[in-house]
Amino acid sequence: MRKSLLSILSLLMIASMLLAACGGGGAPATDAPADQPAATESGSGSSTSSDKQVLKVWSFTNEILTMAIAFEGQNPDVDVQFTMIPMNQGEYQTKIKAAVGTADVPDVVALEAAFVKEWVEADFLANLNDLLPLAEELQTYPSVVQVGTYEGVTKGFSYQATPGAFFYRRSIAQECLGTDDPDEVQALVNDIESFLETAETIKQCNPNYFTVGTSGELFNPFLANRAQPWIVDGQLVIDPKVEEYIDFAKLMRDNGYESQANQWSEGWFAGMSDSLVGADGQPKKVFSYFLPTWGLPYVLIPNSGDTGGDWAMINGPLAYQWGGTWVGAMADSKNLDLAKQFVAFVALNEENLTNWATGVYTNEYLKAIDPTVPDDQAQAAGDFVSSQVVVEKITSSFDGSPLYEWLGGQNNYEAFGLAAPNVNGSLLTGSDDAIQRALESSRDQYLNGEIDKATMWQQWLDVLRSEFPDLVLPEPPQ
Amino acid sequence: MRYTKINRNYYGYFFIAPFIIAFLIFGLYPVYNTLALSFTDYTLMTRSGKNIGFQNFQALLADPLFLKAIGNTWLIWMLNFIPQIGVALLLSAWFTNNRLKIKAVGIWRAIFYLPNLIMPVTIAVLFNALFSFYGPVNQIMVRAGFMSEAMHFLQNVEVTRAIVVFIQWWMWFGQTIIIVMAGMTSIPVHLYEAAMVDGATAAQMFRRITLPLLKPILIYIFVTSLVGGMQMFDVPYLMTDGRGAPSNSIMTNNILMYMKFSSSRGHIGAASAVGVLTFIMTTICALGIFFFLRDRDDSNFDKTVKRWSSFFKNKEKE
Repeated sequence: MRKSLLSILSLLMIASMLLAACGGGGAPATDAPADQPAATESGSGSSTSSDKQVLKVWSFTNEILTMAIAFEGQNPDVDVQFTMIPMNQGEYQTKIKAAVGTADVPDVVALEAAFVKEWVEADFLANLNDLLPLAEELQTYPSVVQVGTYEGVTKGFSYQATPGAFFYRRSIAQECLGTDDPDEVQALVNDIESFLETAETIKQCNPNYFTVGTSGELFNPFLANRAQPWIVDGQLVIDPKVEEYIDFAKLMRDNGYESQANQWSEGWFAGMSDSLVGADGQPKKVFSYFLPTWGLPYVLIPNSGDTGGDWAMINGPLAYQWGGTWVGAMADSKNLDLAKQFVAFVALNEENLTNWATGVYTNEYLKAIDPTVPDDQAQAAGDFVSSQVVVEKITSSFDGSPLYEWLGGQNNYEAFGLAAPNVNGSLLTGSDDAIQRALESSRDQYLNGEIDKATMWQQWLDVLRSEFPDLVLPEPPQ
Repeated sequence: MRYTKINRNYYGYFFIAPFIIAFLIFGLYPVYNTLALSFTDYTLMTRSGKNIGFQNFQALLADPLFLKAIGNTWLIWMLNFIPQIGVALLLSAWFTNNRLKIKAVGIWRAIFYLPNLIMPVTIAVLFNALFSFYGPVNQIMVRAGFMSEAMHFLQNVEVTRAIVVFIQWWMWFGQTIIIVMAGMTSIPVHLYEAAMVDGATAAQMFRRITLPLLKPILIYIFVTSLVGGMQMFDVPYLMTDGRGAPSNSIMTNNILMYMKFSSSRGHIGAASAVGVLTFIMTTICALGIFFFLRDRDDSNFDKTVKRWSSFFKNKEKE
């Protein structure tokens, strides 16, 4: 305690050293031009970055670095200085807020779905309306543009679309439901009512099988089907879907349909590779996971152990989207034109999106441009991109791919492509993250039987009153 | 000659200058700035603010969450401070006791100090994993038959608080032992020898010699621990969801301050008000400690020496 100030200081020091190191990795200041494929004409130019235009890019994910290097490959006179700041508990958001209005302000920032709206609703991002024709040309999914737009001004674009899906284990479906065919399983979980019936079937089939890891995975799907966002005209709206979700989650808990492992906890991941062992010593199995496009390559596959090939994907009971990274230019940027050019390259460039999704950005490709690139920087094929034009062109290329085999012979790109146009992007608001995290905290207490439902609503509203003094709160639901 | 003397008199200022400058920039200015911000409705996302007087403070004092945070902070600090000072006094008394002659005191002291070297972040994450639903604690307790089924430890208000209290105690009692031992070994041995000659028991020596002479050290520990305790942040922040879950039971002043600061609009004004109130509360309590534990006449040391020497004189007379 006493030394907490000291430890914070040393943490900051370590963090700044790491940041400096990361920045160095992305900023090839002393590259010999001979190493660059497009640098043949710069023989007379010096190799220092002083004659290059510098573009400062901040992100919470390394993915943008890959595209930054590709951007340098196409624009040899640009030096992209990439800074990566983790967003675990909100450090990244706090860091950009603190940099706005100072000399350190970055030119381009990456914004995650959880907080992109805060920025789109504020005045610090540049107006990108002149990039809209590009989006039209590429048929960027409407929800992607909608999220980046506030009061008619578009301030952010994304290279991803993130429709959600329902991934299930074929072997358990075969054993308990009598079929593992995606269409037939979809019929069994087509809405929440049938989903609960199926959950009961699975429990009867084997008491050590859980239908989902945690009912928390369905929070997003329920929220995506609300009629209204959390905040309308400065007033908090508790949509009937929210109440419906709470009752649903309680039912899942009380009937033992979920493993009770918290999302992102070790137990939750263990369920993906069949290595979950209950406290009673019994091995447990989890039937399904609700994950969006990025959840497949980044969450499910890396944690699935040797269960590959035993999975299938369908739409599940509710259509939803979850997450995604938007890119915006800072209005204060000194290189606004270049910043816009970068945003256009990342999110609205057909060639880049195609390369991104089809695994063209290998280590060899990136190292040819910038030899200092980390070894694991390559982008594997399979991320679902935001342009319908690109998606339609490359869908067939995923037939027979490793992902295709992993899903037991299903083309995930095709399935996501069918779901993406139906996603609703109008429900996000800038305060969603805090509102939802506060509700999750009270919800867990209620599910665990520590407090009753009325206390849960009251506790949640009390926290919101403290955190959002200007928000008008409704009476708690009964 | 005269000039050299004057110059020498100035050396002292040069030597303390680095501290003063660093203090003014990193100590005093932030305090002043926080105070100034606490009267505004400044937010990070608007970059403008106007003076709104005491509105931030009024809102805070009417906010049940703030009152709860203060209560939590005091509760968690006291529950860890009392056993911390108690265990430190007991172990230090044993380690410095000439009769017990405990071997390898240095090694014990190092072992007790070790938890302090681990980052609080690591410890919080470790305990979070230990007490999770599929974590080792549940696995062991159920399989050994102590519990009929696994439970969500970190959903239970009492258990979560107890874990935080334990971590704070465990991390800091080693540090306290080192300070207390330093204080005890600086007490002149002849006082104890004289007392032993006179047939004083260990308990009497502890109460009549050690405690009074240790008072300045104890005040130091008391005050620094209070200051640190009122600023408790890292362990409770990382233990659960960073918002004081379950039921805001480990929400401390600083977590609330950070919550307001990092909320979607970044309410710096409101966050500063939390900081200012914590600062005022801590200052008043620290001054109170100094006032109530102050020496009522001259220094303790002199007093005790005097008392013992007069004691000896009386003995000689007899």
